Amino acid sequence: MSIFEYNGSAIIGMAGKECVAIGSDLRFGVQFQTLATDYQKIYRIHDKLYLGLAGLGTDAQTLAARFKFKHNMYKLREERDIRPSTFGQLVSSTLYEKRFGPYFCSPVVAGLDKDNVPYLCGMDTIGAIETAKDFMVAGTAPDSLYGMCESMFRPDLEPEELFEVLSQCLLAGTDRDALSGWGAIVHVITKDKTNSRTLKGRMD
Amino acid sequence: MEPPTHCRAGATLPSGQEFLQSFQHRIARAFAGDTFEPIPLRCQMAGAGVQQPHAGAQAGPRVHANWSPYDDNGGTCVAVAGNDYCIIAASTRMSSGYAILTRRSSKFLKFSDKCLIASAGFQADLLGNTLYYKRFFPYYAWNLCAGLDEEGKGAVYTYDPVGSFERVGYSCQGSGKDLIQPVLDNQLRAASPLLLPAKNWMSSLPLDQAVDLVKDAFVSAGERDIYTGDWVELLIVTKGGIRREELELKKD
Amino acid sequence: MVGLGLDLSVLENPSKSAATDAQLDGLSVGVDLGMQSFPLPQVHDLDSFEREVMEYVKPSHGTTTLGFIFQGGVIMAVDSRASMGSYISSQTVKKVIEINPFLLGTMAGGAADCQFWLRNLGTQCRLYELNTGKRITVRAASKLLANTMYSYKGMGLSMGTMVAGWDATGPGLYYVDSDGQRTKGQVFSVGSGSLYAYGVLDQGYKWDLDVETAVELGRRAIYHATFRDAVSGGTVSVYHVTEKGWTKISGTDVGELHYEYYDNPEKHPCNGTQPI
Repeated sequence: MSIFEYNGSAIIGMAGKECVAIGSDLRFGVQFQTLATDYQKIYRIHDKLYLGLAGLGTDAQTLAARFKFKHNMYKLREERDIRPSTFGQLVSSTLYEKRFGPYFCSPVVAGLDKDNVPYLCGMDTIGAIETAKDFMVAGTAPDSLYGMCESMFRPDLEPEELFEVLSQCLLAGTDRDALSGWGAIVHVITKDKTNSRTLKGRMD
Repeated sequence: MEPPTHCRAGATLPSGQEFLQSFQHRIARAFAGDTFEPIPLRCQMAGAGVQQPHAGAQAGPRVHANWSPYDDNGGTCVAVAGNDYCIIAASTRMSSGYAILTRRSSKFLKFSDKCLIASAGFQADLLGNTLYYKRFFPYYAWNLCAGLDEEGKGAVYTYDPVGSFERVGYSCQGSGKDLIQPVLDNQLRAASPLLLPAKNWMSSLPLDQAVDLVKDAFVSAGERDIYTGDWVELLIVTKGGIRREELELKKD
Repeated sequence: MVGLGLDLSVLENPSKSAATDAQLDGLSVGVDLGMQSFPLPQVHDLDSFEREVMEYVKPSHGTTTLGFIFQGGVIMAVDSRASMGSYISSQTVKKVIEINPFLLGTMAGGAADCQFWLRNLGTQCRLYELNTGKRITVRAASKLLANTMYSYKGMGLSMGTMVAGWDATGPGLYYVDSDGQRTKGQVFSVGSGSLYAYGVLDQGYKWDLDVETAVELGRRAIYHATFRDAVSGGTVSVYHVTEKGWTKISGTDVGELHYEYYDNPEKHPCNGTQPI
């Protein structure tokens, strides 16, 4: 079994009209054993920027702590929040530092940029950025998630529609993956607030 | 005929297509009988053909270094059962590795059965045994068997390569299954057939919507699966007969 | 569900029944039953070839099944998930195989192996009935299966099954696996989620359980296994075997069962850590 599948994860980021959403499953397991069902894989960087880290749990936590530190330092220097696209580059270069001994994580960055334009990007373990205008997935069953997103996604969704589409994609995708699921959490980021909701899912 | 692809031992090997056909004949033989009323039952192969060692290999163990009797030719098929119809669809691309061997290879096999009263269960069982017979040198093929059952309801049977099978309301097999199956789950899932007290476990989607769903699923899979493309061939089985439709997919 | 034209005379006269293992040996019901034999690949090392082939075809795996004998008969409970690696290939697998109205087999390991050989066992049992005019005992049926398994030992078959039923000697429960092992027992659980099921089962099991409690114990044990084990899930099916044969008691979707047991998700023991 691959090291990426050690803990299990599923993350989807999706762009809407002046809003962006990111959701993850809630399982934390060790191979096929489920240990917790409230394990969030999405980290808040600031009000309009969230980072999802799929892959090995220990590396995800380490990275999340490093990014929190880096963002704090950035804020002290610049006296403002980091822009999502800048943060994407920061994640990329941080991952590339470990080019020959990578963190076993694939990140998804979702945020609202200037004028509330959605920013969405994903990356491999060593920081090759792939920006997307529609959706980005990561985790132990990317094919299931891609299949759902590819069929369900439409451009310019309103926040509530975006929530519905992303939730359906996440739940249906994780229902075909043994290593992710057990409920989900979805954050919808709009210009004035972030709406975070947990979803009831199959608990098997 | 496409050239053999994994032929490193200098032997003349049947290509995946040829082997697939021989496998289809084998099943067809198993089902062969006198021509009573043909019943709308189809069987399709997803995924792969097997390349077998040439006849000389039968003489005794012969070791081919770096040669594998298996190749994956890709392709996806989907079957959806409704109350009075059954849709079977398959992409027509056949590949080996990154190479496209042909863009037009039908994955369908139509066979007649000698008897209308033979239940779908029995026929399914037979294919199960045909596959299990090769338990120790399996056919590398994922099968869907679909048609109408004796009550005229749609029936889909899904198989693993060594012959375990199950009757389901819909199924997807082949290289695009990870992409398509959750979409079908999301749109078609009904109660589990194992529930007691029992609930209706078949989707009640009207035929035209089901056809659209299958087409959409293939278009989506074509975006992400390199082995699904070119065309998708749909066969729609109703009590009136079989209708064929075709949809063009991306060629890349 | 009972009857089907079987010879039930054993019920009136128990002394007629219970074939011994020695009796079985003399019978013509063997492993083959005129079946085609399996062609083998022409390779030097069959074992590693089979291992390699299974990497290609990835047959369905992953299961929790359990069975126990108590004062009211035998309870069998199973989940319904089949997975290939971490991909869930089906949520609706029928893992209790109804061999005949008095015999059940459960399915763990390779789905095709279990389906095929339990179907084969059904045929053997029927032939036994036709030959001898009496119903086969659970002991004899499980022995037939174990003999078959032993004859294919080392060829890569994978199954862990429980054969349960009712005969003239009362309830019977045997564990048979693809190594050829056969064990009689009172409580068994088999499959990737069996350890979780054992935890619940051992905690709640007593000989004197009434039927309703026993059924609930079986269902609950499987439910907890589906919760903890990633490759178990789907629907919990519970069967009850009595002197009148088996009946299916319930089939419950785990997706709903969880929220029946824990209607408030926040109160679940796996919830409660602070989000990061």
